[in-house]
Amino acid sequence: MAPSGFRDNAEWLSDLASSGEAQDTALADLRATLLSGLRRGLTAWLEPGSPQLEALAEEASQEALLRILDRLESFEGRSRFTTWAYKVAIRIALTDLRRKQWQDVSLDQMLEGPTDQRREATLIDPEGGPETTFEQREMLDRIGRILREELTERQFAMMEAVALRGVPMEALAQKMGMERNALYKMMHDARLKLKRRLAREGLELGEVMATFEAGNSWGGRVVREEGG
Amino acid sequence: MSNLLNRLRALLFSGRPASFAVSPASLAVMGREIASTQGVEYDCNDVYRLLDQFAEAVQRGEDGAPWMPLIHAHLERCPDCRAEFEALMRALRPSEA
Repeated sequence: MAPSGFRDNAEWLSDLASSGEAQDTALADLRATLLSGLRRGLTAWLEPGSPQLEALAEEASQEALLRILDRLESFEGRSRFTTWAYKVAIRIALTDLRRKQWQDVSLDQMLEGPTDQRREATLIDPEGGPETTFEQREMLDRIGRILREELTERQFAMMEAVALRGVPMEALAQKMGMERNALYKMMHDARLKLKRRLAREGLELGEVMATFEAGNSWGGRVVREEGG
Repeated sequence: MSNLLNRLRALLFSGRPASFAVSPASLAVMGREIASTQGVEYDCNDVYRLLDQFAEAVQRGEDGAPWMPLIHAHLERCPDCRAEFEALMRALRPSEA
């Protein structure tokens, strides 16, 4: 049994796979390690020291311990064991956090409404202002036509929700009854299809973007949210 | 599995012709994502498999591994994986206690 806190990867694996006191001590040490890591790791989402963060860290570390014990053989040794364990615990914690944050939001609301205050700090009025140039409007019409021809309304709304409003892929995928990875692959297929279509039309996206950057604020009227 | 995916694709991507409007804001954000799209990209599962190794490499200031740009590109466009990476980097910081 390795001294507490000084295990290398082989010792973590050996102690966790053993039984009796060696395993009990390793589990207690790993639990403390995960709790400490989650308390640091989740501070971008929850207030440090808050009951919410403590409860989530406790729950996630317990679930992570079970998952780690169940999947010890999948650790490939390409990182420190504790980094791998943090990764497992963080996936559990953030999945749980997203589920709670989005459980009362319907799929339609995800696809339609503004949701992420940080992403909404700068909005651009789609009507544009008098400063929108003819060239910019013409380019928008052309790109819009291509998007409408290549994507369904729902497909476009999904991409917009994730890219523009910060809706988590996990939350969106869950409402659609699919895995997050499958959703990512579908969105990749859609982006690739659009990129190829634009190339066939002789449109380089870099030039399109430059059309809007050359003007002011993407050719629209910039509206800043108060108190955002 | 492929049958399930095909059914989901049909459910999601079929239907009436689209009539949505594209705002400059959408074009600005989605345009960048479309422009940077590659034929071969890492998906969320690929990134999760390598995330611990990637985080330690970033922590050491290394960026030489050939797979690292693929992870960077995925993190740019996947908010969920980006959040997991950011949380992992925070967890790897030395404890202040």
